[in-house]
Amino acid sequence: MEYITLGHMSLLLGISLTVIGFWGILTQKNIIKIILSFTIADAGVNIVIVSLGYVVGKTAPIIDNAVVQEAGRNVSASVVDPIPQALVLTSIVIGFGVTALMLAFAMKMFTAKKTLDINQFNELKW
Amino acid sequence: MVTPIYIVATGLGVGFAIGILKKFGKNFTGALVLAALAFMTFISFQWFYGLHYGSEVATYVYTAGFKPPFSINLLMGQYESIASLMINAIGLLGGIYMFNSLKARGSDAQVVYLILIMAMNVLVMTRDIFNLFVFLEIVSIAIAGVILLEKSDRSMSAGFKYILASGIISTILLLGIVFAYYLTGTLNIDDFVGISLNTYKGGGLVIFLMMMAAILELKPFPANGWGLDLYEGADPGISAIISGASATASLFVLYKIMAFAGAEWNYYVALIGIITFVGSNFFGIVQENTRRMLGYSSIGQIGLLMVVLGFKDVLGDSTPFILFGLLISHYLAKAGLFWLSGIIKAKDLKEWSVIRKHPYFLFLMGTFVFALIGFPPFPSFFSKFNFVLLLTETGNIAWVIAILAGSMLEAIYLFRWFGYAVKSENSHIEKNKVCLHKSIPIWIMALALYGFSYYTSLSNPWSIAINFIPLAFVALLFVLDFLPVYIKNSLSILGMAYYFYLVYPQLDNMRLIFEVIFIVGGILTLIAGFAYKGTRPGFHAVALLMFAGLTAIIEAKTTLEFFFGWELMTAGSYFLIIRGKRSMTHALSYMMFSIGGAYALLAAFGISNVGQINLDLNQIGHISYLSTWAYALLILGFLTKTASVGLHIWLPGAHGEAESDVSPMVSAILLKAGVFGLVLTLIAMNGSDSQWSNLAYALGWLGAITALSGNLMAVFQEDAKRLLAYSSIGQLGYIVFALAMMTHLGWLTAFTYSINHFMYKAILFLTIGAVVLRVGTHDMYKMGGLIARMPMAFIAVLIGIIALSGVPPLSGFAGKWLFYNAVMEKGWYFQGIIIFFSGGLAFLYLWRLIHTIFLGQLKDNHRNVKDISIWFAIPVYILIGGIMVFSVRPDWVLQPLGNMLSPFFPTGQLNWDHSYAYTTLGYWSGTNVFITIVILFLIVFGILALSTRKAHKLKQFDITYSGEKPFRPETTHVAWNVFAGFYKAVWPATIPLVAKFWDYVTDFFHDGAGFTRRIYSGNGQAYMMHILYFIIITYIVIIGG
Repeated sequence: MEYITLGHMSLLLGISLTVIGFWGILTQKNIIKIILSFTIADAGVNIVIVSLGYVVGKTAPIIDNAVVQEAGRNVSASVVDPIPQALVLTSIVIGFGVTALMLAFAMKMFTAKKTLDINQFNELKW
Repeated sequence: MVTPIYIVATGLGVGFAIGILKKFGKNFTGALVLAALAFMTFISFQWFYGLHYGSEVATYVYTAGFKPPFSINLLMGQYESIASLMINAIGLLGGIYMFNSLKARGSDAQVVYLILIMAMNVLVMTRDIFNLFVFLEIVSIAIAGVILLEKSDRSMSAGFKYILASGIISTILLLGIVFAYYLTGTLNIDDFVGISLNTYKGGGLVIFLMMMAAILELKPFPANGWGLDLYEGADPGISAIISGASATASLFVLYKIMAFAGAEWNYYVALIGIITFVGSNFFGIVQENTRRMLGYSSIGQIGLLMVVLGFKDVLGDSTPFILFGLLISHYLAKAGLFWLSGIIKAKDLKEWSVIRKHPYFLFLMGTFVFALIGFPPFPSFFSKFNFVLLLTETGNIAWVIAILAGSMLEAIYLFRWFGYAVKSENSHIEKNKVCLHKSIPIWIMALALYGFSYYTSLSNPWSIAINFIPLAFVALLFVLDFLPVYIKNSLSILGMAYYFYLVYPQLDNMRLIFEVIFIVGGILTLIAGFAYKGTRPGFHAVALLMFAGLTAIIEAKTTLEFFFGWELMTAGSYFLIIRGKRSMTHALSYMMFSIGGAYALLAAFGISNVGQINLDLNQIGHISYLSTWAYALLILGFLTKTASVGLHIWLPGAHGEAESDVSPMVSAILLKAGVFGLVLTLIAMNGSDSQWSNLAYALGWLGAITALSGNLMAVFQEDAKRLLAYSSIGQLGYIVFALAMMTHLGWLTAFTYSINHFMYKAILFLTIGAVVLRVGTHDMYKMGGLIARMPMAFIAVLIGIIALSGVPPLSGFAGKWLFYNAVMEKGWYFQGIIIFFSGGLAFLYLWRLIHTIFLGQLKDNHRNVKDISIWFAIPVYILIGGIMVFSVRPDWVLQPLGNMLSPFFPTGQLNWDHSYAYTTLGYWSGTNVFITIVILFLIVFGILALSTRKAHKLKQFDITYSGEKPFRPETTHVAWNVFAGFYKAVWPATIPLVAKFWDYVTDFFHDGAGFTRRIYSGNGQAYMMHILYFIIITYIVIIGG
């Protein structure tokens, strides 16, 4: 019988966080909360990325004491796939950039109208 | 060859360097950015040139010293080099355009702008899907960043909605990428192409996610509110980049993902594309805000490009030609228009009239608008033509209809806008300041558009034959527009005469008749132009554009050439018509009917091309597929030009309000283009084995009803020029009816009427136009008694109406006599009665022309008017000479005409015995009738002259006034409302049902679009919801619930 691994759990967590984040983006009226929802969704996606690279019983792709190093043994067999981990770093950086930009917009929008209610920014329409 | 990695290196390097070099000032950093962009443009140009004309081959560039999958690789191939060149070129020009506005935002904005352009290059070149995601994000961040650095707060909410939407879209892409990696273990696009992702469990979902992201980036309808807000809110310089460069890059991204998504996606991409194209343009028609309207248009155009991409397997080798033709036209024209909108600071469409204070910008705007709609000679014209032909050939007729409908909607709002620019009131708007650095990029775009037009026509095997000499002459006249009228007029006349001399030996007799009407007629009407003073800006170039189109349809050997000429003529005549004082709405409706008609022709040419090996115009004589439909479409297309009832509502206003010498051009001459088209179609039908008799029968009825309603409406006109315009509708009805009979005599009648109508309508319109120039009004009741002041005009009108009414001895009677014989022989008695009744109506209105204008009391303010200008009188009297020759010796014209028609209709000819023409019903001699009547006239005239020798000449005021001052002076004029009694009898027939119908159609579309576009509520969350719905619905449709 298959049992639930850490990988499955984190995949589920990641997807749940993404869905929760999207729900927040669609329902929250406060711009800051929308941005927070975005970061939640972003974090969810990042967790999904990491969990897809996870392999049961293997360790981080860093060749240190945790990896048994002996002659004739391929060290790559005892670490998880390093690519998703590399990707997630980039993704986090991008998420950071986007969030910062959103916050900057929020700031400017607040200065303009003294409100953070998204419903107040409808002047461009139709 | 500089490796393309330097595009990235330059962007990044200069970007970082500016951080250090800031202290040298913003002018320095700005110049540095431009230098970097210029270098990037140079690199991509070098590759473009090497790959297309040199010996270069598509090259991979590997980064970090490893090969994939351990590193990211870039590809510079044929298409990549074009896209990258487009992006860098618009980046450079946009950088010049926005130099000051970027400077005002600081050196940070300059860096962000540079990074934006660089990142779009990577989108095009990268072969690594994760790298694609990263640069997609960099592009969004950079666009949002430039907007954020704007000083105004106006665009902030648009920027926020944009970054939110693109954040969600890239999250979707990222999920797709990660799962793709999980399934396949690679991130390289080339690997994806090699393996079939679909065969993996969950592979379909992965492709779905990636395709959704790529499609959403292109702002599909209706999940694109955020994109529209961005177009409206952003600095026009940025909008130009988004519309030109970013759309190009995003399209490329879709192209790359489609390469491994599987062929089943093609259909859905095309479907989403067409919905976007039609939907966007539908909402566009109610826009009043310029930039938002341009946004709708941009999104629509990208939708059309998606359709092309979706059909890439169907179109095969033609895909790049069609795709790049449309893309380049859109790219150049839209960037130009957005940039213009930054100089002409007019938010509302109506305020664009201020552009007339910068005439050269009006020229640029016209260039861009016509290129967007796909008029010749622009690349989009050739693309649309090929696209329609190939789609029809592969049986995708519903797609053709949708594409033409979307184009039509786009034409509606773009021409409405252009009409405002040309005609709307502008005295209250202040002229805008123009900086050189802002106008140069726009000029470059326009010149590039013309350059590409020429290049495109050379690269299409069928368009090489197109004769560009007349167009070059038109261009010369545009350049010489500053010269005075008499020079330009002489030049135009000489040019046309020389061209006629070159062309006429190559034409068969039938084409020669029309060429004479078009070109010799054109020269005659141009002579009248000498009466004008000053420079008459723009007139000669557009008049010659129309004549260039007219001669092109005569000379056309292929359907492409014919359609090319047809569209040129439409463009030229549109500009001529819109020159009239109150012509804005009439010109628009003329354009709409013309474009509708042109699309009917295009569809027909598409159908007729099925199963043919070339585009030979003669192919319409042997259509193998849906032939009745093809003929019906051809006839419909040509009837829009002959203004048959139902399609006529543009004519009275367009002809009535046009300038004095333009009315004869667009009436006596231009309408014959429709007749020529009908002649070609009917000859083809006659020779084919298609079941066309019902079609001809319907056409006959349509002609009869048109004759009746045109003449009936003419009777009740108070405006002399509108009277003549309605009369043209009626006359063209006769011609259509006569052609529809499809007999020898019927066609002889039609040709006789065509020649006669050309002569007498030109005489009447020129003379009345010249009178209008003298008296300053079209309203007949404001004239009267002008016989004393204008004898020359009186004689001309008298001869014109005798000829038109078809009484002996003048040539009109030849038409009537032939008509009578043809109808009797054909047996269409009932229609014939309608036709002859309409002929009777003609007397009612023609009588008014002479009686109201020339007889009766002279008005006080006309006591000193002079006779019509000699420049109008010259062509008028030349044409009168023509009528006289035709009247005295009709056999000179009718015999050759009969011989010409014999190959098509061998039976039922006229038999000639000297001047006597015989039919089965009787005989007639034009010469003898003429001589008899002239002798009778002279005798009666002599008797009257002798018997009234001693009569007292009555002065105008030898009468008694009752002393009352009338409330409405026009009511005292004897000719005002003179047909009130008749009106009581026939009023139900004069209700403008057709105009009401078209009004209803217009309102229906307007209200529909006005209501539905409210889904774009402006609320950022609503827009995100649209994205979500879009994804869900697409999922259900494609993958299934």
